[in-house]
Amino acid sequence: MSSVEVKGLSVRAGARTLISDVTLDFEPGTWSTIIGPNGAGKTTLVETIAGLRRPSLGSVSILGEALAEMNERARALRVSLVPQHPVVPSGMRVYDYVALGRVAHHGLFHPASARDRAVIDSVVERLSLGEFRDRDVATLSGGERQRTVLARALTQSTMVVVLDEPITGLDLRHQMDMLELMKSEVHECGITVVATLHDLTLAGQFADRLVLLDAGAVVLDGPAATVIRSDELAKCYGMNLRVVDVDGADVVVPVRH
Amino acid sequence: MAFVAAATVVALLVAIVCGLVIGPTSVPTWRVVGDIFAHVGIGHNTLTPIQSTVVWTLRAPRMVIGLLAGSMLAVAGGTYQGVFRNPLADPYLLGVASGAGLGATFAIIDLSHGVGTPSWTPLLAFVGAMAAVTLTWLIGGRSMRSNTATLILAGVAVASLLTSAQTFLQQQSSAGSITRVYIWLLGSLASVGWGTVWLVFPYVIVCIMICVGAGRALDVMSVGEDESRSLGVPVRRVRFIVIAASSLGTAAIVSAVGLIGFVGIIVPHIVRLLVGTSYRRILPISVIFGAAFLVFADTIARTVIAPSELPIGVVTALIGAPVFVIILSLRRPVAV
Repeated sequence: MSSVEVKGLSVRAGARTLISDVTLDFEPGTWSTIIGPNGAGKTTLVETIAGLRRPSLGSVSILGEALAEMNERARALRVSLVPQHPVVPSGMRVYDYVALGRVAHHGLFHPASARDRAVIDSVVERLSLGEFRDRDVATLSGGERQRTVLARALTQSTMVVVLDEPITGLDLRHQMDMLELMKSEVHECGITVVATLHDLTLAGQFADRLVLLDAGAVVLDGPAATVIRSDELAKCYGMNLRVVDVDGADVVVPVRH
Repeated sequence: MAFVAAATVVALLVAIVCGLVIGPTSVPTWRVVGDIFAHVGIGHNTLTPIQSTVVWTLRAPRMVIGLLAGSMLAVAGGTYQGVFRNPLADPYLLGVASGAGLGATFAIIDLSHGVGTPSWTPLLAFVGAMAAVTLTWLIGGRSMRSNTATLILAGVAVASLLTSAQTFLQQQSSAGSITRVYIWLLGSLASVGWGTVWLVFPYVIVCIMICVGAGRALDVMSVGEDESRSLGVPVRRVRFIVIAASSLGTAAIVSAVGLIGFVGIIVPHIVRLLVGTSYRRILPISVIFGAAFLVFADTIARTVIAPSELPIGVVTALIGAPVFVIILSLRRPVAV
């Protein structure tokens, strides 16, 4: 069974169509990245998969269950989100922030159980956040903060993790670290990642599959190497793109006219 | 945290005793404390009949309404600050004050034929307060696309509309009625008897429990609406329940004691500066701290220029502002 099933999905905001008739299947244990120019509808698509937007038409199902029929809590047990611009509350400890991921498990009227705390501790450990446990999240650097947000999503222990531009504002090293961390989680825990990414080179290197979106519709969908090397890619972005092979990795380079 | 909690509980007990002991008729502290124990079945009555009347019929209901008003306004302010993620939020944000003001003004001016403050002033104030919040919610809180900013702006619009209606009514009336309206608006615990206490008690207790119970949800909601939903919190439902409980409790209090300012905004901030930003701590401590604070303020209000009284709102601001400024300068910047 596919992990996430998007069927005939359209999303409208007023008179504007943000997503039109998108159908996609995401297999368990795979990493798919949605690429496309600004305004193509990437964020709208992943927010709908994360259940934050309602489809105008069509449906999104997780492991065969329709998102529209779940309440917030049931949904939070199946899909978690690393948002593009996380809200960083001031005065909250890193540990407490990461622990928010367990709220859907223990509920709003019970404290975290021993099992909840074990999950939090293990994620804090895996993401090397131990030394920051008691720091105020508002005082973290960009890289540390993104890792903390990822930790919160991972403590939700969901089959599906949605990453919306998770490396915005990070330096190269932290971009790589962040994506490597996520990649190893995919391998170890068999989770399904649906991400959006602007950096085409990184998108190609980290995803099993790329979905090229333009004007709310799927233009191309396939293995990363195929999509990266296709002519449609440059056409979508309206510019000259060259793909260079560097030690076996595809590097996408923009070229001036 | 444990120290702050213990200190507030001690402050509360001291406030209760002060509220019962201090006043024009002097009653020794130990006799009042002894009589409190006698009431729960330990020892014997220690008060003379006159002292007993003064303490239990005049001072006690006033002290109890002070406890209820202080805790309700403080916890409502705290939950509003959490729900709106706005440090300037107070219990009157959505129009409770102006609605109650209009209701009371209407009762005092139009229905009293120029004499006295009719006994159903509280009822009309309550109706006005609830109508104002409902109107604000219908304008700003109903639609799926609305956010908390829409709701706050709707509250501002409703409040100015109702205040202008209230000002108009007031301007049309006699000087005597204007004075009585003005006194009502300033807020006072003076005329409260046991009847009023029992009338507002159930509302206030239930509303306080709901607000305190929402602490964990408000903690999650500090990451904003979308993220809290993705973490599994039914944000809209929580927001509705919390706003309804805060407004209902505030309306009940306002209808009994008028508009007491400052407690609702400053107590939760003082508590936040002392115990940190988690609403699971802020809200219960605010309940106790608010209760103690208002009873102290009322004890001062009725004694410093006895036999006449200071408006309690003046006292809350007069003590609260310097205390707040001192704590603010000692601790980290305000965060919500």
